[in-house]
Amino acid sequence: MSTLQAALAGVLLGGLYALMAAGVSVTWGVLRIINLAHFGLILVSAYLTFQLASSWGWDPILTLVITVPAMFVLGGVLQWGYDRVGISELNSLLASFGLLIMCVQLVSNVWSADFRRMSAAVNPYATASVPLGRLIFPVTTLLASGIAVVLIAGAQFALRRTFTGRALRAFAEDRTIASAFGIDHRRLGVLLGALSGATAAVSGMLFALANALTPATAFEWFGTVFAVVILGGVGHLTGTLAAGLLVGVLSGVVSVLLSPAAAPFVLFSAIVLALLLRPQGLFARRAVR
Amino acid sequence: MLEVRNLDAFYGAAQALWDVTLDVGAGETVSLIGPNGAGKSTLVMSVGGVHSSVRGRITVGGAEVVGLPAHRVCDHGVAIVPEGRRVFGHMSVHDNLCLGAYRRAARARYRATLDEVFGLFPRLAARSAQLAGSLSGGEQQMLAIGRALMAAPRLLLLDEPSLGLAPVVTDEVFEAIATINQAGVSVLLVEQDIDRALDISSRAYLLAEGRVIAGGPPETLRDNEDVRRDVLGI
Amino acid sequence: MGKQRDVHATGAKAGKRGHVASLPIARGLIGIVLATGALSALSLYRETLGFPIAYLALLTTMLFWVTQATSWNVLSGYSGYFSFGQAAYVGVGAYTTAVLFGRHHVNFYATALIAAGLCAVLALGMGMLAFRLRSLRGEIFALLTLAVPFILAALARINGAIDGGQGIIVPLPPFPPALGRFQDFLYLINLVVAGLAVAVAFLMAHTRSGWALASIRDAEDVAEALGVATFRHKLLALVVSAVIGGVGGSIFALQIGFVTVDSVFTLTVPLFVIVMSVLGGRTHWFGPVIGAVLVVLLQDRLTALDLTGWQLVVLGAVLILMVLIAPEGIYVRVRALFPRRRGKATEAVGPDIPESTVDSDAALVECDGLTRHFGGVHAVQNLTLWIRQGELVGLVGPNGSGKTTLVSMLAGSLRPTRGSIRIAGRDTTGLPPHRIAHAGVARTYQIPRPFASMTVRDNVAMAVMFGREPRSLGAARRIAERHLVMVGLAHLAGAYPSALNLHQRQLLEIARALATAPQLLLLDEALAGLNPAEIDNAVEVIRRVHASGITIVIVEHLLRVVKALATRVIVLDRGTCLADGDPGTVLSDPAVVQAYLGKRAHA
Repeated sequence: MSTLQAALAGVLLGGLYALMAAGVSVTWGVLRIINLAHFGLILVSAYLTFQLASSWGWDPILTLVITVPAMFVLGGVLQWGYDRVGISELNSLLASFGLLIMCVQLVSNVWSADFRRMSAAVNPYATASVPLGRLIFPVTTLLASGIAVVLIAGAQFALRRTFTGRALRAFAEDRTIASAFGIDHRRLGVLLGALSGATAAVSGMLFALANALTPATAFEWFGTVFAVVILGGVGHLTGTLAAGLLVGVLSGVVSVLLSPAAAPFVLFSAIVLALLLRPQGLFARRAVR
Repeated sequence: MLEVRNLDAFYGAAQALWDVTLDVGAGETVSLIGPNGAGKSTLVMSVGGVHSSVRGRITVGGAEVVGLPAHRVCDHGVAIVPEGRRVFGHMSVHDNLCLGAYRRAARARYRATLDEVFGLFPRLAARSAQLAGSLSGGEQQMLAIGRALMAAPRLLLLDEPSLGLAPVVTDEVFEAIATINQAGVSVLLVEQDIDRALDISSRAYLLAEGRVIAGGPPETLRDNEDVRRDVLGI
Repeated sequence: MGKQRDVHATGAKAGKRGHVASLPIARGLIGIVLATGALSALSLYRETLGFPIAYLALLTTMLFWVTQATSWNVLSGYSGYFSFGQAAYVGVGAYTTAVLFGRHHVNFYATALIAAGLCAVLALGMGMLAFRLRSLRGEIFALLTLAVPFILAALARINGAIDGGQGIIVPLPPFPPALGRFQDFLYLINLVVAGLAVAVAFLMAHTRSGWALASIRDAEDVAEALGVATFRHKLLALVVSAVIGGVGGSIFALQIGFVTVDSVFTLTVPLFVIVMSVLGGRTHWFGPVIGAVLVVLLQDRLTALDLTGWQLVVLGAVLILMVLIAPEGIYVRVRALFPRRRGKATEAVGPDIPESTVDSDAALVECDGLTRHFGGVHAVQNLTLWIRQGELVGLVGPNGSGKTTLVSMLAGSLRPTRGSIRIAGRDTTGLPPHRIAHAGVARTYQIPRPFASMTVRDNVAMAVMFGREPRSLGAARRIAERHLVMVGLAHLAGAYPSALNLHQRQLLEIARALATAPQLLLLDEALAGLNPAEIDNAVEVIRRVHASGITIVIVEHLLRVVKALATRVIVLDRGTCLADGDPGTVLSDPAVVQAYLGKRAHA
């Protein structure tokens, strides 16, 4: 029974991983930028949610009103910067690694390296849960997975059905020809960076709802989220969602059956295997999307 | 419609076009023939703004386009059918066509244009939901042309539409090009199948080693020994 | 055949004994030994010199990072495959010592050796898996290596025999009292390890492996096609890197005294080594040394100014700035400011072109039923053809007719979907490109792809070094001069490829291909984009090469060039052979003219 409960909890937690991974995956797949700074944005958003809720007594979900626009702008500016200097894929990995550690250190300077958690008074979601038969669903994970699924499905729909979405897919495949059909890669890139920043804000909020914060968390996401990105197939949204759920379930079940400390071992071994056997991603049909 | 004046084009240190001057009048089909490696594709890409390392003047409908990025050149009503087709293989036929109508002027009436394209190439309508990468070579060529038409162009640049196609399919493609031209679109056609190209053109230019060597009505170029010699490069 | 092999073997030995390159190597090694000796004096005569022991601790930290950054650089800097997994070696090293020495009292020095062995095994495993991937790209390698420390950390955390989560205390090892205090011992042992690491990195940079790795960094598939066994060299670099990192990690256990998962498997390790190497200059053996010294000094100053909280911010900023402004690093930048006098052109060795054993009737190339599909497109279909020794075959056909695909299959960079290829009687179908290069096939690329970080001479010397008869650098350079004379580039031997025009780069491609001592030379549009005078010159060069006894296949659009050069012309159309024969006949064949000109051209 507890295994089933763990698997379900994993499914729900996987949604959050998928949401964190979606931004990284799409900017990598479409713009050829491996943006580790995304984790920095998530971290800052999580702390902002914590701060706004704790000092002003805002409902944590309401803090999105501030964090989403802020991260939208930051994400756009970042992408604009990458584009301005014409950074290569590998160099983007290095430079954004630099940005990430700067974020982590700054967060640590502002909020200290201690664990921070919203008090139950401002965060009613943390303790609430919904019983369903003999299984129990914490509201935070329900929220996380629900929002993740909605956002990813929405993004997927936009990619399939809107002119901008098609432009992004075309751009990922053949930049030259896409530009000949009127696609302005600068504007599109900044828009995508900004949108991915906005998802970082949501991810940060969702993480802060359920967890205590410490700056080093960003480095912990780093591994898991890249696992999801790669398993899902770079630039492949539905694959990312599926991979997020898979990773969530895997860590949930392993935690229960073996020990929580064993989860990363199984997880990263799975990634290494997946990378070696299917470097294009488990869920990607062939290449991008 | 298109005026190219004294155009030089470069790839890094190497020069690919020397002092190229040519015109395409409104509603005209002009073909550009010449041996492989003569610089025909470079010219097409330069007019489309895709190849930007150029010197000289290019005007489309009177507007200067040299120095504009490709997506701005597109706004002047230029659409490219690139060499090798280059359809978006991971997108459906329908999405490829819709992408063609990305520019604002085309987007407004893309449904009507889509019907026209499907009328011109019924085979595309039948395969609308299929991934472009799974189409045959001929169908991909039709898709590439259809995609360009979706942009509602005034000037259509076609680069080697017969490349790698069986003769029957080539006939079909050339009929379509003639139809498109009759609808009022100016066409610049790069082609190695000289006879087919000359059949549907009102004028032609011969390009060799990056320079325009001859130009004029089809009759003056057809079965001309010099042309044969230059094209074969013998 | 057996006899010929012997000849090659002797040639190889003679080449390796070449002493020209070994003089600077000896000088460099002596320099490293002297520097290490001088630095050891700081501890050995610490009291006489009045050197404060606190500085010794700082130097010890510096040396630890010199070791780690050098370890990283040997693979990632030299070959361009960035690793984010440096912490794996530090962790394995530290835990080996912590468990065996700390818990089971095995001799400390033995544990350092065992750590080296374990890291080597780990690296072998990683490399065998990762470098076998045909589609491995740098980013994927980076992420793969990122995962490894996570796995090992989890393993250490859950396995009570390793750690189990409490950490392990590492006691002081016994050391000769003559060395002074423990800090002195720690400093000296770090110094010895760092000195060895730098010496190994120096040696690698100045021997075949360094050249192989540099060529991999510049253009990996070109290197492979020239005969460099890229897989082996990458694997070797990975193992050396792991061994150095592991030994460094082993003594790090002494330094920290208490080993926990978080203290050794941390992302700070890859962060620091990457910043240090990128800052100092990652293509040079000395770059990481400079980087490590600078970063540790910076860290120390920030701590002294009570700005510990800004350390990572500053390091992050340094990394970003270096990536954007000077990706080649400080050392390389500074050295470029003081150009060294290039040794005057090495004298070209008189031609010792192998006595022409051309047996004009023997088939050199036999393709049987060769087919290659790309998705649904049949680029080459069921092609069967023979090329005899001494021929100069013009391969022509309209765009998209499969010429380049055929060339790539002959050179081994594309595998045929079906069919077989035999070169000089030997089945080469599916062999890796470097083996095919050693079987006597060389190619040039349509768009020249020189090794950008090497001079023109060294571009060619590379191909000689890794050709069928391995040579030392010195010998290879002399032979390279000869090939440069052959194509008329001798006057540019000391220049870098970026200074060459297109024509010269294409000639360099030819010289480099010749340097592999091929029996068959594949020229893929070697004349594209040239002006008429340059074309005439190139035609002359190709004639000369052919006259020296090399069989040539030339893909060319300019039929007049083909007509002027070829002894035989093969026309491809839609992946099949349309015509084959002497140039005059073939090029006036109506079917050929039609393929080029269109349906009624011949009417």
